[in-house]
Amino acid sequence: MAECDVEWELCKENIQPLKQGRTISALHQALCQQQEGNHTALNQKKQAFESELRMYDGDDPLDVWVRYIKWTKQTFPQGGKESNLSVLLERAVMLFTADKKYHNDVRYVELWIEFAEGCSDPMDVFRYMQAQGIGTMQAALYISWSEEHEKRGNLKMADRVFQDGVKCGAEPVDKLQVFHRALQARVCRQMMSSMTAQQRDDDDDEDEEPQRSSLAELKAKGKKKAVVPINRVNASAGYARGLQFKQPLGPKHNSRPVIFDENKVPESVPQEPKFEIWTAPPTARAKENEQKPEKWSNVKLPLKSRSGLSVAVPPPKPSFQPFVEEDDRPPAVTPCKINPAVNSVLSARKPCRLEQTPMKMLQERQQLMQTQTQEDGKSREQSMYCRDLVYSGATEFCFEELRAERYWQKHTRKLQTNSPEDSSTD
Amino acid sequence: MSLFGTNTGFGSAGTGVFGTTTTDSHNPMKDVEVTSPPDDSISCLAFSPPTMPGNFLVGGSWANDVRCWEVQDNGQTVPKAQQMHTGPVLDVCWSDDGSKVFTASCDKTAKMWDLNSNQTIQIAQHEGPIKTIHWIKAPNYSCIMTGSWDKTLKFWDTRSPNPMMSLQMPERCYCADVVYPMAVVATAERGLIVYQLENQPSEFRRIDSPLKHQHRCVAIFKDKQSKPTGFALGSIEGRVAIHYINPPNPAKDNFTFKCHRSNGTNTATPQDIYAVNAISFHPVHGTLATVGSDGRFSFWDKDARTKLKTSEQLDQPITACCFNNNGNIFAYASSYDWSKGHEYYNPQKKNYIFLRNAAEELKPRNKK
Repeated sequence: MAECDVEWELCKENIQPLKQGRTISALHQALCQQQEGNHTALNQKKQAFESELRMYDGDDPLDVWVRYIKWTKQTFPQGGKESNLSVLLERAVMLFTADKKYHNDVRYVELWIEFAEGCSDPMDVFRYMQAQGIGTMQAALYISWSEEHEKRGNLKMADRVFQDGVKCGAEPVDKLQVFHRALQARVCRQMMSSMTAQQRDDDDDEDEEPQRSSLAELKAKGKKKAVVPINRVNASAGYARGLQFKQPLGPKHNSRPVIFDENKVPESVPQEPKFEIWTAPPTARAKENEQKPEKWSNVKLPLKSRSGLSVAVPPPKPSFQPFVEEDDRPPAVTPCKINPAVNSVLSARKPCRLEQTPMKMLQERQQLMQTQTQEDGKSREQSMYCRDLVYSGATEFCFEELRAERYWQKHTRKLQTNSPEDSSTD
Repeated sequence: MSLFGTNTGFGSAGTGVFGTTTTDSHNPMKDVEVTSPPDDSISCLAFSPPTMPGNFLVGGSWANDVRCWEVQDNGQTVPKAQQMHTGPVLDVCWSDDGSKVFTASCDKTAKMWDLNSNQTIQIAQHEGPIKTIHWIKAPNYSCIMTGSWDKTLKFWDTRSPNPMMSLQMPERCYCADVVYPMAVVATAERGLIVYQLENQPSEFRRIDSPLKHQHRCVAIFKDKQSKPTGFALGSIEGRVAIHYINPPNPAKDNFTFKCHRSNGTNTATPQDIYAVNAISFHPVHGTLATVGSDGRFSFWDKDARTKLKTSEQLDQPITACCFNNNGNIFAYASSYDWSKGHEYYNPQKKNYIFLRNAAEELKPRNKK
């Protein structure tokens, strides 16, 4: 185990923190396995979960998803694409949206919250949850939602969310109250510190020295009051996790309409028919890790486009002069010399798969999973195989895998009951 | 001791073994039925190589067995031998000299079956079910290639318990084909890898899938000089892609075509799309046969880009097919492929293997 200790020390920064913490033994095991490249045990466990998802016939299917996701988080401490965590979360969340019995199941609500936090716009997700009645009786929703507001500096809304929760009678009540009071305390403290800061003539040791907040956008000093933009391919994922601490939400950049939407929110909760009709929950998990290679040519500086905006539409021109280095002047539009029609690598991602509005994206996905018919505009086609079984988990299964699973299930059942071989019913 | 177990045999249970009903949809093409077919779905078929006189057919099934029949020139089939695995058999192949048959199973092992002595010995072991098995005969080595759901491709010298080589794949192996010096493996998540087998096997290229749906079957085709030059790849949604490895003009030479769909002309009702279960190339003409979940087989000429023939619909999906070494016989198996899950599985339903004369129907359109 000694090597694993070192291993943990060496990659501390890469281990994503979990709200509930990590068991040290699981962490050690996961890191050891990854270091040794021991994929087989991992693969088998993953395959076992995938099979269980498809074979489960009890009345609590959510349980399988919850366990699978929990195992994934423990086994892949760095997160990342290999874990398929975002895919799993999205699937789990979408699968049970129609299932009323899970709407206030604390496990389900927590999945939603985790999903929301991985999205580019958690607010959208929270609002959808509220509109659908998912988690409206759970304190966790209001706590996380208010946290989001607080991260964006919107303390008024943060407080209001808590009030909504109290009004709805969200459980557990005392937890909600504790967090609410904590928020109010923070608000007070902040008001106090800002007041004393204004009055400050001499330096107080309590007051912070000018500290640089980590992971925030850098403010330029000097004459050029321009700001280095934070670049993302495709630009619609406004920020990654970790950048959420200090959101420079001021009108320096293209203001996020989200902020304005907040202020439009009517007083009463939860019935809010004024909301747009949600035909499907918002989607768009953090897309930067899932990107396939694509043209960069449409991306212009600055790249803060509104979430959901298709890249094909160039973002509006900024009101300030983008900072350009003297010596290196990259062109605003990268000329695309490679004809995507010929080079299959660049054309792998078809235009229709570019960032659509979250709802449309999700509708497509839901159709894939739940309905049999495929609308492709021209002719209606119907797949004559069990799509849901094939595609239900994080990865696909082939017919033989499905059949093999059933074979093994039957086989182990036979061994357990020790009955003689008979070639009868399934 | 009865050769093929107790359940089936001549004239036991089941109807229509020898055509008691005239227009039974189990054999609408009126092809020769192989006697004593397996008791469960047939996963794979393979004919003996030309090095051996006569035609011998082996078939593996989900009843954990592999059976061997002799196919006589008059069309009669004689059951010869049978071997068992401890799990369903997923693939079979012959050695190049026709003396051994290799079988791959869900029990994570592969076995070598010596037909002369009727003995089997385990020659391979994986961490997951073995989906494909192929014999490689290179000038400087011979070995078995096994592709498994444990995401590895392993090469075995049959005399040693450890693999000669093990290659990691990005995903589980779904289908493969080998024509020396080329091997193609199609994996889950639409992965596609070409290997070159000269000197020792190594990955040659990873190809972006020409298909949008799950890969299901693959078969390599040869050029006029009998060198492997490309492959046909079938998907779970009624489409086959013809892909050349180094074509002069990829955009024009590579193409896909729809197959195993219903209601072709009738646009009022939705078109039913079925999975392509297997593809085989005719050893002489270079034309190909596809079999699908819809219970039909079709013959195609890929150079003329035309369909040569489509069969009548059988009452069960067709799960496997193969040509014999001179292309005169086309064998296809009718059994449930699990395309609709376990609800549609009827263990009482009989499974069949049919033999058809393929000498004429697979002649290419433009005869040179």
